[in-house]
Amino acid sequence: MRFDEQQIGDIVGADNVSTTPETCMIYSKDVTSLPEVAHQIVSPRFDVITQPVDVLSLRNLILYALDNGIPIVPRGNGTSGWGGAIPTRGGICVALSGMSEILYFNEFESAVTVETGITWRDLLTFVERLGFTLPVYPSSATAATVGGFVASGGLGIGSTRHGDILKQVLGIEAVLPNGKIVRLGRLLLDSKNDELKEKVEEGNLWLSKQLSTAGLGTPEQETKLFTGTYGTLGIITKVTLKTIPKLYLLPFACSFDNMADLVKVANIIISKAKPYYLRFLTDNYTSKLDALNEYENESGKFILTGALLDTIYRNEDNVEIIKTATNEDNGAVLNDKRSRYYWNERFYPLRVKRHGPSIVPAEMLAPINMIPEILEKTKTELRNSKIAIEGMLSNDGTTSVMVWILDDERKKVSFTIGWHRSFKFASLAQRFGGLPYAVGLWNGRHARKYYGNDAYNDLKVMKKKLDPRNIMNPVKVFGGRVTIGRESMLIGFLIGFIGTLIAGWVIPRIPILVQLIQLLDSSLLQLLYFPYLVIVGLSVGLVGLLITRIMTLNQALAMGIPLLRILSKLKRK
Amino acid sequence: MTKLDFLERYGQEDEPYVCASCGNCTLVCPVFHELKWESYGPRGKLHVVKSILEGKSEFGKDFAHKIFLCNLCEHCTSVCTTGISLDRFWEVVRAEVRERGFLPAPAQFVLKSLKERGDIMWMGSADRLLWMEDIEEIVKGRILKKAKVAYFLGCNVSLKSQLHDVAKSMVKIMDYAGVDFTLLGDKEVCCGAPLGWAGNLKDINEMAEKNLEIIRELGVETIVFSCPSCILTWSEYSEYLKENQNIELLTASQFISRLIRERRLSFEEQPMITPTFHDPCISARVLKATEEPREIMDYIPGVYHVEMNPSRQNTRCCGSHGLLDVVDPILASKIAEVRLRDVTVTPATRIVTECPRCILAFDLAKFTTNYDILVQDITQLVASSLAPKDEGGAKDQ
Repeated sequence: MRFDEQQIGDIVGADNVSTTPETCMIYSKDVTSLPEVAHQIVSPRFDVITQPVDVLSLRNLILYALDNGIPIVPRGNGTSGWGGAIPTRGGICVALSGMSEILYFNEFESAVTVETGITWRDLLTFVERLGFTLPVYPSSATAATVGGFVASGGLGIGSTRHGDILKQVLGIEAVLPNGKIVRLGRLLLDSKNDELKEKVEEGNLWLSKQLSTAGLGTPEQETKLFTGTYGTLGIITKVTLKTIPKLYLLPFACSFDNMADLVKVANIIISKAKPYYLRFLTDNYTSKLDALNEYENESGKFILTGALLDTIYRNEDNVEIIKTATNEDNGAVLNDKRSRYYWNERFYPLRVKRHGPSIVPAEMLAPINMIPEILEKTKTELRNSKIAIEGMLSNDGTTSVMVWILDDERKKVSFTIGWHRSFKFASLAQRFGGLPYAVGLWNGRHARKYYGNDAYNDLKVMKKKLDPRNIMNPVKVFGGRVTIGRESMLIGFLIGFIGTLIAGWVIPRIPILVQLIQLLDSSLLQLLYFPYLVIVGLSVGLVGLLITRIMTLNQALAMGIPLLRILSKLKRK
Repeated sequence: MTKLDFLERYGQEDEPYVCASCGNCTLVCPVFHELKWESYGPRGKLHVVKSILEGKSEFGKDFAHKIFLCNLCEHCTSVCTTGISLDRFWEVVRAEVRERGFLPAPAQFVLKSLKERGDIMWMGSADRLLWMEDIEEIVKGRILKKAKVAYFLGCNVSLKSQLHDVAKSMVKIMDYAGVDFTLLGDKEVCCGAPLGWAGNLKDINEMAEKNLEIIRELGVETIVFSCPSCILTWSEYSEYLKENQNIELLTASQFISRLIRERRLSFEEQPMITPTFHDPCISARVLKATEEPREIMDYIPGVYHVEMNPSRQNTRCCGSHGLLDVVDPILASKIAEVRLRDVTVTPATRIVTECPRCILAFDLAKFTTNYDILVQDITQLVASSLAPKDEGGAKDQ
């Protein structure tokens, strides 16, 4: 891949570019530690890291990438684990944390507009000082950027009342893969200081035409093309989010002996008390929380915790509902101190990682009533693994179930093979009507199911129109050819070559063919047979190598996952 | 795989793998805040350590230099999701930097000075008496006197003339309250903290012991410090203190607050002072001594303290801790300027703190930013607010 560091430096500022191997390595990671074998299908690192500080330099960077056919991948703070911001074919990483201003706030419109590199923590601090809060923010709010969560979608703190994050987005600004700047939905800005106005008008006009030829609506109606699609259609640079009044926040927590009772109470709380936030922690999670050791009664219990966000009077009524429901279903309501503890823990779901010290994550969205059964099956299927399960409840009857499979990445072979458990949980949850929690890179093969058939078709059409050269976050969501490693190419070649040799030895020994060969037999044929076989073997080997070169990610995973499963069974035996 | 024995030696071999990569540490890191690249932040450095362990990166000079671009301010440790003691981890890595001969020249100087002179700035034991000028009457007979309370000044306060007033104020307060206290005078040596910062962990106990041996002989039960890092170092590295819990270590504000509660200090009305308290990293995040200084300020009539944001456990580092002020003074100064900017948005007319390094850092930042504000230690504020002596409190029996 050809790129000119100086030219990129001219575009985004020399201090905002780095090509040092260690910086490229660091920015190529997210929270998941991938096994070495993963780098046989995705490139291990970006070639260049950039930190543009304004929209115009980002636009020029995208144009540069487009001219040179270089992949370009947006990144927030790398706090997700689904590979949405990691490299697949090297290229340029656009770290957006340098664009983090709060641009507009209007309490009457209950909205705030920010640049997407701002962290949720900083945005929360800002709105809370003004007496407001955010309807939804991620559990990784202390470090995650607004852009990262909006680009990937998902449930967060507040989803129990307000649904997923994408419902909180009023409008966005994005830079398309062809450098056009567009605004979708209702992006609120101070129009007097809007330097991009002309460029946006031009961009929106162009986008409107593309949308109408694709049979879609106006830019005001099609925000969803860019939210939740991992920056594959464009890089989101500004977002207008809803805000809500910061009423009286009241955390609560209840403990149970089993998941069935917990789910029963959770259903009552969701329907009657309408909490702001509701999370569950299972026995295998609470038993690993070191801070719970001194609270013997909670360690190893099932905990339902959350918060009410309402007027003091309504909260009082709702607390009564929670107490009654919990007591009726064999649970115990925990005191304020413990409730506050669990509320503060909402930002730290990864606390249990020390028990690994590595983790293999697995997460699904599943119907709330199926959770007890899913958990039982998960425990049975992963009985030989150390696991910790927790989840978050949404207002639409779904629950995110997060299974932290604790492992040790220093044990290379078992850690690599152990990754099949993540996929095993995914297929198990699907049997119960579950969906992948996120698409990112690794769940691309479930994208059609995740987005819905029609929506996914629309996305595909628009991807072709907006990004015909496929430079914008390639392979994510839509799949595509992978960057194959040398070892895999060698394996492809060897499979072809050795397979041919074995076939060359076996086939002549098939009874009918034996007679045929005897009929044609001559010393000359025998002499010529082996060199020909080697030549054919080499050719088939090359074909095998070629197949690995043109293999897509989904094909690679379709072959790799069963292989990991077989190896796991062999290892156990 | 590169063998990094030193991690195992200090029981730190799991830590790079325990890291959840959540990024909390990076976003609070003052060095990352200035330099903007993750390779300078804790998460990035842990990734590099992992990479070295896996034989994919080199433990070279560049990495060694980055390890020293750190304030050891405990902020990353305090927000770590998985509870990694990151500051201890960085000290262990600094020890390896030293072993490999990559120690930055200023850190080498500090180690040499500690070994040959017993302090961090190549002075000498005799210079530890200079601060007593003008208060000979109060300190007369106090040096190496048997007493229950000892005042441990630390290198900066005893040796830097601009900080001499901190020590003078502390002894004035003790004298006012009638505390029977002792001073180590020229027998005091560095507490040992800079040894850890410069990668010599094994000699810290020896350095602490040099002081503690004298302190024990004097029958001391309480040691009052002007520098929170001295307390942290002794609590972590002194074998004697780990085994014997009979000596309490207090910050100046913890001790003064106790004196106030015992009604041994009385103050006169001040002419409307509006200070803001800068929580030093170690006293706020490790010693958890955030309320005592505020209680003291609230107690002095006419003092109306205002809060900076961030404060208490979330306080921002002044930039001069962990040897950053000698390894990269410009970076350290920039970090101090950021903290000074937090002050500028408050109505405060002076900064009060309780760490000599913070005072030095802000004095420099005042100069580089041309922002004129009085910087004081809490002891200076207290000493200057005391009512005339005849109204003082009761004496120790």
